[in-house]
Amino acid sequence: MEKNNNSQDRQPLIDLQHISRVYQVGIEQVFALRDINLKIYKNEYVAIMGPSGSGKSTLMNIIGCLDTPTGGAYYLKGINVGELDDDELAEIRNKEIGFVFQMFNLLPRASALKNVELPLIYAGVPKHIRLERAMNALNAVGMGDRINHKPNELSGGQKQKVAIARALVTNPSIILADEPTGNLDSKSGEDIMRIFHKLWLEGNTIVLVTHERDIALHAQRIVRLRDGLIESDEMNHHRFVFEGVNE
Amino acid sequence: MKILAEIEESIRISAESIWANKLRAFLATLGVVIGISFVVLMGWAISGLDKALQDSINLIGEDMLYIDKWDWSGGKRWKEIRNRKDITYQQAKQLISGLTLPEVAVPLASAWNAQVKANNIVYSGISIAGTSADFGRIPSGDVEKGRFFSQADERETRPVAVLGYKVAQTLFADQDPIGKEIKIMGRKLEVIGVVKRQGTLLMDFIDNRIYIPIGNFLELFGGGEHRRSVSIGIKAGSIDRMDEVREEARGMMRAIRNLKPWEEDDFSINETKAFEEIVSTFRLYVWGIGIGMTILSFVVGIIGIMNIMFVSVAERTKEIGIRKSVGAKNRSILLQFIIESAFLCFAGAMTSVVVCSILVFAVAKILPKFVPETGFLQPFLPADFVFIASIVAIFVGILAGFLPALRASRVDPIESLRYE
Repeated sequence: MEKNNNSQDRQPLIDLQHISRVYQVGIEQVFALRDINLKIYKNEYVAIMGPSGSGKSTLMNIIGCLDTPTGGAYYLKGINVGELDDDELAEIRNKEIGFVFQMFNLLPRASALKNVELPLIYAGVPKHIRLERAMNALNAVGMGDRINHKPNELSGGQKQKVAIARALVTNPSIILADEPTGNLDSKSGEDIMRIFHKLWLEGNTIVLVTHERDIALHAQRIVRLRDGLIESDEMNHHRFVFEGVNE
Repeated sequence: MKILAEIEESIRISAESIWANKLRAFLATLGVVIGISFVVLMGWAISGLDKALQDSINLIGEDMLYIDKWDWSGGKRWKEIRNRKDITYQQAKQLISGLTLPEVAVPLASAWNAQVKANNIVYSGISIAGTSADFGRIPSGDVEKGRFFSQADERETRPVAVLGYKVAQTLFADQDPIGKEIKIMGRKLEVIGVVKRQGTLLMDFIDNRIYIPIGNFLELFGGGEHRRSVSIGIKAGSIDRMDEVREEARGMMRAIRNLKPWEEDDFSINETKAFEEIVSTFRLYVWGIGIGMTILSFVVGIIGIMNIMFVSVAERTKEIGIRKSVGAKNRSILLQFIIESAFLCFAGAMTSVVVCSILVFAVAKILPKFVPETGFLQPFLPADFVFIASIVAIFVGILAGFLPALRASRVDPIESLRYE
């Protein structure tokens, strides 16, 4: 198993220690995650792969602080997430996590700008700063000319760009993308992956959850899950490199 | 700062979601709209009633006493009152000449359901009042045009008449009635004055009256001997002197009526207080009915709002999940839905205030044209009731929205993000 050699001495951004997640279904206990040990460092680009039922969604929920583990400890920037209550988790999600979902999950009645502003509202950012930051985020994903469009007036790829802008707007520690191209045609999917690549080059940490090998190949490191355990965790030697992007 | 941004966001979302479901929101708030309408219309009715009362009191004069066979407060001991002996003109004259304390005292004999002819018009259903020249010195005798009859007119039983406002309007419309001739019971009389318009809810008959000198009245209609009770109007001069004036009048009247010390008064001393009693009873009815209806419609309203809010929470599970994923705390969601519910009710309240304002304006402007006695109605809603109604609506909204909002705040973000 190859280690990420440039980050040995630093504190990990995400530190999962013996994580397990058990669901009680009737009288039966179902192990979604059994014993996960995973460290992710700043400015890594990690793909978490696995077939359905492998536990990758559960792992994503735990990394994204939507869920807490039933066993083990999760340190995010040194904070033990398992000890936090609902409101503290919400605050962590607001500050540290930027979600990008397969289904975009934009508010249908709000404009692109309002959608991107949303995390800043819960962060208590004053209005004029909110507007400026939302505009910057939309410009960064090339959606600066569609700020007043509602989601139903946008294509799938455009919706996902707005969703990425929303994830970026709080300057989170991690951008957590769950099958971000799963609902897009290949052209739009490529656009989206190009944006992630650019964000990574700009210093962001990206965790990509996918079951598609082609998508996972964009990442720098690939973690494979099976039956709630890490099957492999290795650097990606077959990296897909975008033309004209200078690494 | 943080909470303000969230409240602003919540109000914006509420407005959007109400706008997106206009009909549903309207139906949901119907109960509240009706409840608020009851509150403001009730307030309007009561304030109108108070104004009518004040008008009547001003018209009669707060320092007026009326000694009468009949009791103004009505209802009570009606049979006993009916069996009282009439007050004759002789008794009235005796009392008036004997009284020393009042500013002025006048006899008042009335013939109801009389008829007057003038200008080729026959006007029935009016009353004819026989009184003395001093009637011109009490508030009910204030003339608008011409003059009240004089003591000379009275002494010489000159054929003169002073018209109530509505009589003058009906018979002469735009013409000047002064100097015109009218006929009562075949007798020709000259109009010398018109009394100011005084009609109110409680005193509507007063504009439909013709005043003539009491001597003429007795010739035409006969006196107390003909089962026609005469009353005596007494103006004390000031409210402070009411008690002594009342006691003097009572003592003297008892003597005139030959009452033994153990016998009860066989006459009533009426004051404007009687109106206050009537109005306060009426007000109690309005309040009782109003509050009952209001509570009922608010209960219905709360159920309606609560129901629609539960539906809204269920429909927007995904939205709740999205908000939570980007950092909304449970209490932010709670606040959002409570504000939405309060906003919905407030919007309902504003709707009913607008509708009621239009209604009230229309009623107050149009109704008096057909029923002049309703002229006391004001063309606007009382501001304090509008304020109370708005506060109540917001409170109702918070109450109705609390349980749905609590459910919303407890939505599991993982489940709700999966929700389609």
